[in-house]
Formats: sequence, structure tokens, C-alpha cells
Amino acid sequence: MTVDSFRFLPGSIAAYYQNMTVQREDPVPFTPLAKPLDQCRFALVTTAGIHDEGKEPPFDTEREKREPMWGDPSFRRIPKDISQEQIGACHLHTNNRDVLLDVNILLPVQRFLELESEGAIGSLAPTSYSFMGYQPDTTEWRQKYGPDAAALMKDEGVDAVLLTPS
Amino acid sequence: MLARTFEEAGISTVLVTLMPFWSERLGVPRTVGVEFPYGHLLGQPGDRDTQMGVIRAALKLLEEATGPGEVRELDYVWPQEVDEAKRDWQPPEPSPIIKMMLGQRRAQRQGRS
Repeated sequence: MTVDSFRFLPGSIAAYYQNMTVQREDPVPFTPLAKPLDQCRFALVTTAGIHDEGKEPPFDTEREKREPMWGDPSFRRIPKDISQEQIGACHLHTNNRDVLLDVNILLPVQRFLELESEGAIGSLAPTSYSFMGYQPDTTEWRQKYGPDAAALMKDEGVDAVLLTPS
Repeated sequence: MLARTFEEAGISTVLVTLMPFWSERLGVPRTVGVEFPYGHLLGQPGDRDTQMGVIRAALKLLEEATGPGEVRELDYVWPQEVDEAKRDWQPPEPSPIIKMMLGQRRAQRQGRS
């Protein structure tokens, strides 16, 4: 079966994406998995725009409302033991209802803790990361926030990452 | 985008996406594609089996890929009717950029009349 990338999009947005020209940069970087899965430490990275309510501030959606061509490029840290009640969400481009019911549809911390306890993976790192998916300009991701998150992961001994863009 | 940055830093990545179309065009290290609506990368809230199934497929690809660019598409079928799912994932009010574009379109129409 072939996944239809446009099945759930309104026709106008689908047409816009299909006609967009993009610059592909080759070669594509590739780090082979260094160890068996059951020895790897994982971090999770989503662009769901969620945050740890009360511990870190939400993304700056007020500025996005004033400047619709701007998206907050920073990230928030999500601890591995976060409870569902601590999840805050402020993405303006999707409905946040379902992620506020179950964070695992976008940042599967509970599922990875289960994989850790069954021994399928080495461990889930203490910290996972949430970015805001709406980024008309990715310069700051490339130059600052992406490398900053990578450095924090390296400090926590992360070998591999599951990415869930939203 | 972020996947490439992490790979360059020596971290292996696997991306789950609703739009494998972009992975092929942009060049993503490892991709698992699912035909799910926006904001639901791993399935519906509370559907542990689907969430775990997608994750296990991603881990398998991470383990088996020998070079960049592999895309594996999974055959999960979204349980909701398409039109309903299309409405359901959208925000309660249009995003700022959509509001701006609608405003521009209105201004153009008024300018012509």
C-alpha cells in the first residue's frame, strides 16, 4: 500500500504543497545505529508545540498571532516521568484536544518506558524535546536550536531519536 | 530538518510522518509513513496497540537501514470516515497565517469590485 500524504488535507492546502518547489540537499547525513536496540538510549523529539505546564513557559504564540510569518524556533524539555496532567499545548495549526487526552499520540513517553521495562530498548533518556511545528524560516533551527538540542542529548548519552513532526 | 542536524551530531534518527511525500523530496535519513490525520502520528488517544505497532516498525527500520533515504509505509487504516477526520484535526479557529491569507483574498476581491 502507498500512503496518500494528502488524504486528510483540504484540497487547497494539498495543491499548494504539491506545487511547492523545494531544494533537496545531498548527501543526506546518516549515522548507523551504533549498538543493538536493547543497549541504545533514546530521546523523543516532537514538533507538537507541547510543554511541561508550570515548569517551562508555553511557546510564543502571541507573537505568531501578531506576525503570522513567524514561528517560535525554541524548544521545551519534557521529562521522561511527565504525567498527562502536566502537558500543555498551544499549537495554532492543529487541534490540541487529542494530545491533551493522550500525549503518546505525539510524544510516546509511556510507550518508551514500557519498551524500556520489557528490555526492547536500553533506556529512555531523562529528557525529551518539543519544538513548534510551524516554522516558515528554519534558519534558527539549523544554526542554534537543533544543535543545542543535539548537545543536550549527547550530554545525556543519547544514541538514537524518534522524531514525530506535527 | 532536525533529523539531519541530529545525524550530523552522531545520533541515529527515525522519523514517523503522515507525509512521506516530503521525505522523498527533501531527503530524510529514515522514514516510516502512516496514513493518519495531522497531529496523530502514532494513532488515536488511548490506542496503545497502534501506538506501539508504529513505534516497533520505526525501531525495526532504525536497526535494519544500511543507508540514508529509506521510506517504509505501514498499512494501518484510520478508523474514522475521511471527511470527519479532515474536520477533526483542524484547530478551532483558523491559524494566523490562514487568517492573513483569507484577509488578503478578501481585500483583493474588494479592490476588484
